[in-house]
Amino acid sequence: MQIGIFTVGDVTTDPTTGRTPTENERIKATVAIAKKAEEVGLDVFATGEHHNPPFIASAPTTTLAYIGAQTERIILSTATTLITTDDPVLIAEDYAKLQHLTDGRVDLMMGRGNTGPVYPWFGKDIRQGINLAIENYALLHRLWREDVVDWEGRFRTPLHGFTSTPRPLDGTPPFVWHGSIRSPEIAEQAAYYGDGFFHNHIFWPPSHTAQLVSLYRERFEHYEHGPADTAIVGLGGQIFMRKNSQDAINEFRPYFDNAPVYGHGPSLEDFMEETPLTVGSPQQVLERTLTFKEYAGHYQRQLFLVDHAGLPLKTVLEQLDLLGEILPDLRKGFAEGRPEHIPEAPTHASLIAQKAEVPA
Amino acid sequence: MKRIVVVAAGLSVPSSTRLLADLLGGAVERSVEARGADVEVEVVELRPLAHALADHLLTGFPSGDLATAIDHVHRADGLVVVTPVFAASYSGLFKTFFDVLDQDALDGKPVLVAATAGTARHSLVLEHALRPLFSYLHAVVVPTGVFAATEDFGGTDGALEKRVERAAGELAALVAGGGSTSTADVDPAPRPARRATVTPFEQLLREAGGDSVR
Repeated sequence: MQIGIFTVGDVTTDPTTGRTPTENERIKATVAIAKKAEEVGLDVFATGEHHNPPFIASAPTTTLAYIGAQTERIILSTATTLITTDDPVLIAEDYAKLQHLTDGRVDLMMGRGNTGPVYPWFGKDIRQGINLAIENYALLHRLWREDVVDWEGRFRTPLHGFTSTPRPLDGTPPFVWHGSIRSPEIAEQAAYYGDGFFHNHIFWPPSHTAQLVSLYRERFEHYEHGPADTAIVGLGGQIFMRKNSQDAINEFRPYFDNAPVYGHGPSLEDFMEETPLTVGSPQQVLERTLTFKEYAGHYQRQLFLVDHAGLPLKTVLEQLDLLGEILPDLRKGFAEGRPEHIPEAPTHASLIAQKAEVPA
Repeated sequence: MKRIVVVAAGLSVPSSTRLLADLLGGAVERSVEARGADVEVEVVELRPLAHALADHLLTGFPSGDLATAIDHVHRADGLVVVTPVFAASYSGLFKTFFDVLDQDALDGKPVLVAATAGTARHSLVLEHALRPLFSYLHAVVVPTGVFAATEDFGGTDGALEKRVERAAGELAALVAGGGSTSTADVDPAPRPARRATVTPFEQLLREAGGDSVR
């Protein structure tokens, strides 16, 4: 079981102090958070990608390479790579380079997470969002697996005799997750390739998550990648902890009430009831998180959002300390009742090993 | 079993909108029964759902009772919708409820439109506001709408009752005559919260138009 954190890199005013971090502070904070994640024993650090304010998450390979140079073990991922508006050729090259520099500690999560106005800045049309995700990934998939590619598509300049460089490390492309909140087409895409499926699992009720995950599992089996329960599933989640649960509620409430993503809507209590958001003691977070597998099945990756809504860096680092404390129990809980045949999330090492097993 | 759902957007207690809703619900029930079909009438009051509706606008998903109400509307064979007139149109609460339904929720569904107001001068609100809204939503709006000003409730000529009966008869004819998209006399399978149908990947790829050179 891989446990980690994911961030969207929002620059948000701290509602309790009225202070807004500078972009420079927020970018440096992202690095500090990633290093701390490794220090407390987490497995994955994932960063989003956005090309508009208030986010500082553009140029993710730059951020991840810088973090990669200062860490040893943690897997570096995206959440998400914008497969709709990014050029698949540049994705192929940027992430293969990152893979070499970090000795394979890289995977990607594909997503469409752009707003309407962003698409035309990159010459795209949001009404083609799904089609862009399908076609661009089809090309990316080939660029990493075929040394010389001939390609003609609807959305991109044709390629003739094209070789993406550098080639993936050890001839093994990074593992890919496909992220979606409500599009069955993306679950289908993940299943078709036998890639991972990630549900962000934060703003919506668990029933939505369960529906898409089970669709992905069924279709994973349909495409003969293995039984449905061996499909590779990742879930998000959002937590805020203090030793005493009432302290957690009191401290988090102003951030929740004013957060651009859900502020001024339902109460914190209602939102906790309706969605996986958990604010309370480490024990409460532990218990709630371990219920996710009841509706998603035994899954492979759990990422938490801990650094948004204007929370100061100091608080975020404290959250990571608390997460580190419950990490052994989380691992134990996830392992409980987990059948032998359920695979772990693929890593560079496991993908190479798997390749060696297949007779040439 | 035919399911009629009456959506009432009145805000006060007691409410003349609810009063009209109950008159219409009763009339539709009698009229469907008179056509030999079993019928069940359910009233959805929007006032207790006001907070949940505002939350839905902000979060994108319905909570608790609102989810149940939306499900009732999805599964209805016919709808009666009643709003008070606010600023020469349906109320914001009324509109919000129909804003958060799935895009195809009212496709082909028979709907009886009705409104209440303090003065008869608003009577054309049915034609100016409600009928275009439900036409847009691909509902089948019955020809007779029912508008009731305060004075109509005190009338002795039976004009309001006659109009109620006539509109109810029109709705019942569509519902009992199989005008709805859901005509089977069995309970339809519960509708999933969101669509999750499968388009095979090869088809998705063809639609994208890519990967044409191998």
